[in-house]
Amino acid sequence: MSKKSEKFNLSEWIFTTDHKRIGVMYLIGSIAAFSVAGVMAILIRIEQSSLGPTLAADAMTAGQQYNQWLYFHGAAMILAFLIPGLTGFAANYFLPLMIGAADVAFPRINALSVWLFWAGIIVALLGFVIPDAPDIMWTGYPPYSILTGGNTAFYVFTVHLLGFASILGAVNFLVTVIYMRAPGMGWNQLNMFVWSTVTAFVIQLVFVPVLAAAVTMLLFDKYLGTHFFDPSAGGDVLLYQNLFWFYSHPAVYVILLPALGILYEVVATFSKNRIFNYKAAVYGGMWGVVLISGEVWVHHLYVSGMPDWIRIGQMISTLLISLPVGLLAISLFGTLYKGAITFELPMKYAVSCLFLFLIGGLTGIPLAITALDLHLSDTSFIHAHFHYIMGIFATFSVFAAVYYWFPKMTGKMYNDKWGTIGFWLNFIGVNVTFMPLFKIGVDGMPRRYWNYEMFPQFETWHYIAMLGALLVASGMIITILNWIMSAMNGKKSVDNPWKSKSLEWTHTVNPPGPGNFLKDVKVADDWTPYDYGK
Amino acid sequence: MSQSSTSQHVHHWEVSWAPMVATFGILFALPLAFSAYFVYENTLLTVIFAGIGTPMMLAGIAKWVSETLHEKPLIEGMSPVGLPYFIVSEVFIFLGFFVSYWAMRLSAGNAWPPEGTPEFNTQLPIIMTVILVASSITYHVAEEKYEHNDFPGFRKWLIISIALGLIFLGCTFYEYNHLLHQGFAPSTNAFSSIFYSITGFHASHVIVGLGVFIAILIPAFSNKAHKSLVFCGGVYWHFVDVVWFFVASQVYFW
Repeated sequence: MSKKSEKFNLSEWIFTTDHKRIGVMYLIGSIAAFSVAGVMAILIRIEQSSLGPTLAADAMTAGQQYNQWLYFHGAAMILAFLIPGLTGFAANYFLPLMIGAADVAFPRINALSVWLFWAGIIVALLGFVIPDAPDIMWTGYPPYSILTGGNTAFYVFTVHLLGFASILGAVNFLVTVIYMRAPGMGWNQLNMFVWSTVTAFVIQLVFVPVLAAAVTMLLFDKYLGTHFFDPSAGGDVLLYQNLFWFYSHPAVYVILLPALGILYEVVATFSKNRIFNYKAAVYGGMWGVVLISGEVWVHHLYVSGMPDWIRIGQMISTLLISLPVGLLAISLFGTLYKGAITFELPMKYAVSCLFLFLIGGLTGIPLAITALDLHLSDTSFIHAHFHYIMGIFATFSVFAAVYYWFPKMTGKMYNDKWGTIGFWLNFIGVNVTFMPLFKIGVDGMPRRYWNYEMFPQFETWHYIAMLGALLVASGMIITILNWIMSAMNGKKSVDNPWKSKSLEWTHTVNPPGPGNFLKDVKVADDWTPYDYGK
Repeated sequence: MSQSSTSQHVHHWEVSWAPMVATFGILFALPLAFSAYFVYENTLLTVIFAGIGTPMMLAGIAKWVSETLHEKPLIEGMSPVGLPYFIVSEVFIFLGFFVSYWAMRLSAGNAWPPEGTPEFNTQLPIIMTVILVASSITYHVAEEKYEHNDFPGFRKWLIISIALGLIFLGCTFYEYNHLLHQGFAPSTNAFSSIFYSITGFHASHVIVGLGVFIAILIPAFSNKAHKSLVFCGGVYWHFVDVVWFFVASQVYFW
């Protein structure tokens, strides 16, 4: 590296239209949202660790602040951390490198996306400044969201800004992959991560607008006096739930697919192995998920009231989604088969993800079955289920991505010792936190309750969950500090420390400069990113 | 793999302040000003936020357009293939509103339209349809003039298209005014809510389309135009036109 390039130029960062720097800005923003929302999670766990008000003097305050924490935790973790962390940060930085492109199709729109994302985070954070913070979960169901004294507008605008960023990102990346692949790169030679983001962006493009429409109606109902969700004037109160989950169920695949994509990259590299059943996983698995994702949302409304024939139809379509997800799981485990496996830190996260994926996935099956779900709905069982699959699984895959591509992004190596300590604290902590919630959920512990004095038998389990959450907190602090310290004074890394065959490692330096590649990239007909000679 | 540092930095880092300034303009002018006015009912704060946001938004857009016209970026010429994808997402926003409308209406049965809905004038939407279709045709003529490098003709037909678009908006405001006088406001009932949302959302697209036309027109006076912008403006305008058929048929004639 020349001296000139090492000089830090602030305006070159702030006004940048380069996909790599935008990716880093996404990472910083989403980790910031993750940290604040993580603090909320700890507060929620502490509040529930004993019966009655734990962190407030009286019940009124305890309930109110608990609801505000729930809102921020849910909204920020899903909309401002997981989705932007996976489709913003990871896709931005690595997708153009993997397909051999100099940048994305619309660099300035890409910059617009990242700033809209930051604006969304700013509006969400303003909730801590105003006297009437939103208290409507991340779902914002009417009529409560309309009747509450809390500021529903900030919820709506957070969704608008982040949603707009997502839509622009989707357009940008779909065009990039379709039109800007390196010459010679056919559809069956794409990285699994590229395919996973393509499918995730297809879902974003189609479903985010519907959420935008739904929350807009909510905004109008609350502040302009319209009657979309008011049955007394011809409206329909369940309409919101339908529109909301029409987006928000596919949104879990927006998180799941790129998370799996990252795991494919990590698992293939550290097993030095081909992708098992590439075509079945891509065309059956990923596209299968896209195809079915839009027909299952009603399973979130099993207890909201509907005819049995819809319930049963939705049960079948929901169970059907285990077929494509099963294909993906088989292919992922098959990629390990007869591989030369080494357990570097990213691989530790990836393998733990396989475990979390199984727990989270299998506990979804009873929830799809209506007869069981009527019992389990709105209990801690659901809470634990989606935290395993969405919360922890997806978060760990983001961590795997950061560690795996750390040398690529910084040119330096992370501190393995502290990283490993952080990993074990995280992994043990999350299981200690969420395993008890499965148990008390089956026993009847309702979710979202700040106080459960009517169920004193669950107090011990909640206390254990709180201890687990503190373990996770220490692990997260160590992990994030490790990234910051290593990025500043880590040891210099070689260009391809993992001996990966993927373009982002083989064809450019660490970190890549403007324009990404020295020479235009061309690939041979028989080239694949997983060509480990097996 | 080792590479020399000089060749690595053939390009420079590309920068533009337009996206950031436009975003913070949007942030102040829409979410913050709306919240100040409707949530906190503070007029002074509303004026301040709108006063900060609007110029930032306009400056960002102006800079963006001027960069499009004058600079040669690393990646270019992708807009015509990208626009259809964006339109897909637009279609789904409209679908969100239409499906809500259908769901309400079909579940209401005979109780539709809800109390407080007046008889609609069906002549005006027909006139508006004719105007909008005409504007699509005149823009197409403008595009043809542009392709033959006939800038005076291009400007003339572009101005006619803009005028038709403005007349269309005028009709919308005339109708809103008329309905409001009959006591049919957005807060009257569920149908009024959906009526003003769908037609208003469509009208906002007409406004954006006209904004794009004006962004094309201004440089056209000095015989400059950006090919992709002219093409994309047209595709967008035709899309707005097609959506209007759905709006008119569903809202007025069903």
